[in-house]
Amino acid sequence: MRRPVLVVVLLLGLAAAMMPLEDRIHAERVALKYGGTPVTLAMRDRVGQGMAIGLLAGFRGVVADFLWIGNHGYFERKEWIRMYRNMELCTTLQPQAVTFWDTGAWHMGWNIAHAVSIDPANRTQAEGLKRQREWQNKAREFLADGLANIPHRWELHHGMGMLYWLKFNDHCQARDFFRQATAFPDAPSYCLRMYARRVEDCDGPQAAYDLWKQYWREGNPIPSRDGIDLKSVMRRELRRLEERLNIPAQQRIRA
Amino acid sequence: MTERVGFSFGRIVTIAANTFIESLRQKVYNILLVFALVVIASASFFSQFTFSEQLKFVKDFCLGAISVFGTLIAIVGTAQLLPAELENRTIYTILAKPVRRGEFLLGKYLGSLWLVFLSVVVMSVMFGAALYFKENRLVAETRLDRNLSAEEAATTVTRIHREARDGDLVKGVALTFVKLCLLAAITLLFSTVSTSMVFNVAMGFMAFLAGHLRGAVVEILGEGRVIRGLLTVIPDLGAFNVADDIILGNAIPWEHCAHVALYGVAYTAVVVTVAYLVFADREI
Repeated sequence: MRRPVLVVVLLLGLAAAMMPLEDRIHAERVALKYGGTPVTLAMRDRVGQGMAIGLLAGFRGVVADFLWIGNHGYFERKEWIRMYRNMELCTTLQPQAVTFWDTGAWHMGWNIAHAVSIDPANRTQAEGLKRQREWQNKAREFLADGLANIPHRWELHHGMGMLYWLKFNDHCQARDFFRQATAFPDAPSYCLRMYARRVEDCDGPQAAYDLWKQYWREGNPIPSRDGIDLKSVMRRELRRLEERLNIPAQQRIRA
Repeated sequence: MTERVGFSFGRIVTIAANTFIESLRQKVYNILLVFALVVIASASFFSQFTFSEQLKFVKDFCLGAISVFGTLIAIVGTAQLLPAELENRTIYTILAKPVRRGEFLLGKYLGSLWLVFLSVVVMSVMFGAALYFKENRLVAETRLDRNLSAEEAATTVTRIHREARDGDLVKGVALTFVKLCLLAAITLLFSTVSTSMVFNVAMGFMAFLAGHLRGAVVEILGEGRVIRGLLTVIPDLGAFNVADDIILGNAIPWEHCAHVALYGVAYTAVVVTVAYLVFADREI
């Protein structure tokens, strides 16, 4: 008789003891932005029954990967809207996945935008350009959503910079995003060069020269982030700009 | 007058070692492990994607396989422990000796955990090999790519190394192991009340699903203390799924891992204690 009572007491004790710890773990997960959107009935309809079971069993990453792999088929069949919806779904499942946002935006801004611009179904060239711009805008919105979810990684800032630079021809916006990317300690060294080049395009060569001079003086040598000899990059850029600005020999940086 | 024997750790270890060796000889276990290794090895064959995608796929599939096959091994391995002893009547011989029921049960459970641990280690080694293979292949492809400048290639190689060699993956595997220990304990609890292995396996999987669905139930029914209190009987297995976030590059503080591990260990301790209390009263 005493044993069942003991079992009940143990279970009640477990409930009382575990609730604060569970609350703490839950609060930590929310603060660290773990997981993703909860699995709802609407999501079950979107991912399908099999995938929903996988999601409910805790295999969110694997399910998102399988869906993402499906993009390849949509891409080959030129089913752009389906591909877009699928990419949206993957980022809903794993909003912290940099590669989904980055690669998704690249598909939209580059591949799909180009494909729709040369689509034989376009009645005029203008229609192609209009459709191209629509997909580039989608890419920008997609990346902006990604940045709202993952502001602490350099990749999406860099992706947005590339989009503004190469697709919108907006060097000043691109400059700002490259500057943000450069601020991350793990950003590759080419971000620095891209930032300085956009400064040159947006603010003029003198501003870029001043920036390189500042880097040379303050960070000589800047610790290499990825094995690249930044010193030689700085030297090369300084020389190029000094030539472009016709800076007298005595005023040039001794690099 | 019945002579009371003291609690012996040596006897527990002996029973555990015996259980471990018996389980290792099981064909089911070996087949599951071989399947797991094949699945993990095949994860490195994804191509046609960017290197970040490929590395993510390898990590997701391998850690998913460790979780799936680890769950199968933990549940199936533990579910047959007591029913097999009862069916073969070996339990009578053992308990006729100066062995306490608690020692017997704990020995059986520890033997099962050793098996799970060995499986997780073997699968993790295979995972490491798959990741190493993929990393080397990506590096070789990058170096051979003539479209990349020397600077771009060097940067890409650095990024491949950084993404492939993520020490935090160990935390994901460790917490998966804690989850498997808990699942084995729950299955052991069911096997103390039932003599059917199939029932124990089914209940083990029910517990697995219920544990993962708990978060969804809380989302639907709300965060009320009564609901939460009632649901506390079911462990929140979703809390152990930090592997996804590790793969995505999120910071996983040791403090959070310690809390989750403590949660799992505390649950396991209570479940094993309840299993002992049930088993101690059971008529054999």
